[in-house]
Amino acid sequence: MSELRRDPIGGRWVIVDTDHPHRPEDYEYEPLNWRGGACPFCYGNESMTPPEIEAIRDPHTSPNTPGWQVRVVSNKFPALQIEGELDRRGLGIYDMSNGVGAHEVLIETPYHQKDISDLLDQEVENFLLMYCRRALDLARDKRFKYIMIFKNFGAAAGASLEHPHTQIIALPMVPKSAAEEIKGAQNYYEYRERCIYCDIVRQEIQDKERIISENKHFLSFCPFISRFPFEAWIMPKKHSNSFCNILAEEVPSLASMLKETITRFKGIFAGLSYNFIIHSAPVNGESGTEGYHWHIEFMPKLMRVAGFEWGSGFYLVPTPPELAARYLREK
Amino acid sequence: MPELRKDPIIGRWVIIATERAKRPDQFSSSYAEAPAETACPFCEGAEDSTPPEIYSVRPRGSPANSPGWELRVVPSISPFLKIEGDLERRGKGLYDLMNGIGAHEVVIETNKHIANMADISEEQISRVITCYIDRMLDLEKDRRFKYVLVFKNYGWSSGGGRVKHSRSQLIATPVNPKRVKEELSGAHFYYDYHERCVFCDIIKQEMSSKDRMILDIDGFIAISPFASRFPFEVWIMPKKHSCDFTALEQDRRRDLARIMKQVLLKLKKGLNDPAYNYVIHSAPFRRPSKAGYWKSVDYDYHWHIEIIPRLTRVAGFEWGTGFYICPLTPEDAAKFLREVEV
Repeated sequence: MSELRRDPIGGRWVIVDTDHPHRPEDYEYEPLNWRGGACPFCYGNESMTPPEIEAIRDPHTSPNTPGWQVRVVSNKFPALQIEGELDRRGLGIYDMSNGVGAHEVLIETPYHQKDISDLLDQEVENFLLMYCRRALDLARDKRFKYIMIFKNFGAAAGASLEHPHTQIIALPMVPKSAAEEIKGAQNYYEYRERCIYCDIVRQEIQDKERIISENKHFLSFCPFISRFPFEAWIMPKKHSNSFCNILAEEVPSLASMLKETITRFKGIFAGLSYNFIIHSAPVNGESGTEGYHWHIEFMPKLMRVAGFEWGSGFYLVPTPPELAARYLREK
Repeated sequence: MPELRKDPIIGRWVIIATERAKRPDQFSSSYAEAPAETACPFCEGAEDSTPPEIYSVRPRGSPANSPGWELRVVPSISPFLKIEGDLERRGKGLYDLMNGIGAHEVVIETNKHIANMADISEEQISRVITCYIDRMLDLEKDRRFKYVLVFKNYGWSSGGGRVKHSRSQLIATPVNPKRVKEELSGAHFYYDYHERCVFCDIIKQEMSSKDRMILDIDGFIAISPFASRFPFEVWIMPKKHSCDFTALEQDRRRDLARIMKQVLLKLKKGLNDPAYNYVIHSAPFRRPSKAGYWKSVDYDYHWHIEIIPRLTRVAGFEWGTGFYICPLTPEDAAKFLREVEV
């Protein structure tokens, strides 16, 4: 018998196939295929991108030249534009606004073919710190309500450029799913005076069966209500609603957890494409977020999302998270 | 300047990214090669390769599970949900779960090995519509179910699988799906305030502005929605208010078949036969005995069909955040589709 599981935060139901679970080799995913060619994110091609916003570079090197380890530039084809006042207006029954926001690209490494699992711990720490610096800087702009940090790796996961990079988008409003998550968590918090994510961490540590790995500050696990097969969450064990409030001593711990998680995935799925998103509290005056708990959601691209999923908001998960966690743990 | 647009029903914002816009004819439909097709279990003569049929149209009265049919419905060979058993709602620590009870059926839309519904006759599409309605009404009798979702996956990149034979699926679920709930409560909220149906208001506005209108024929319209999530997303709506797809009168099913076929042909011709999904959004089963169970849905909800061609790869972050970046304005998409001759 398969199971229907309910997300205690958003109230979404997912269908988990516990009868004939897919093993890793049952997935027909599109493997990564490096095409190469001229890359604007490669070392030496700094003039091919818009001017850099910030970088970690060797002393005495100038912006937009070689000598960098991590580089942040504006997206050449931004989904949103930084200039202008927010102009909300109606159009008959519709509401709209001009597309004010920021759209930055963080180049994680000068090397074209190095995924996070190929970097040194220190290099991962560097770009995580840069995530934080950019998010804090963008949050100073009072027009922005939400900073979204996400990575698409591999064409199948929606990356239009191969060179490993992360996108940072600052939005003038809170995206729907984030708002729902925060509201769900806040309702729980007001009712029980506890954070639901802290409760999840406690229950997962106790149940053990969905845990992938644990270190001093972080837990990685396959959530009970995974929407995608082999979905994994990395969560701080200590309650904190905002990624940017991460303590200096926690950064190495997060870096090694992120690297380890991706390494485990690559051990099972060669040439995997994936996405991850940092879920964090809104910025600039959104109240009622103390019950929220930041975390990273990691989604390997193993399936094509089909009509049923987008039409219903129901997700079908062919591998139960308990089994997925076991594969990942044993890798 | 890019625009942020808000879906008037569920309140989702999308970015219409004009800066990265491509021209409508620059969307390629062949980003992923489909693997070789396997033997077709859905063709006439292969009745043994499916589970026994639940429903069929057999004009010459041939026996079940033999040739001589025009349309067949069979249980899915790999069902997500199973029909036998009890729900057994239960808790597990802070989590809730229940057994995977439901129905999962496959509608084989034609006895010929035709891949795209666009190439099926109008008359046959109207049989498919009648079949959807008959199956939905039958599944409604099972009191464990709250909703039936009718959908189609056409083509490899839409999740359509290796076999190309044109078919759609029905899934009956014991809970209301989240997307549907959001639409129902969004529409209810709008009705509460305006005492009008939000979908009827959309229809009125689209008919007067015409910018996003693709087709307006025989009591139905096809539009590019104002807050489209995907390039060339199309909605088909009945102009006359009705919350329930199964209440569509017999003589109007042919009209719906006509507009569906025309939209699907426009997509096929204009966009080089893209993979697509469609889904029918209709009111949930309304069981009078249940207190507070979508009481006003007759007035505030409006059934419709959403069609999404799979032209761009949907990045995981879009599924993860519910935040979409659409690289084509709905106005350009509608203009392009209006001009495709079929």
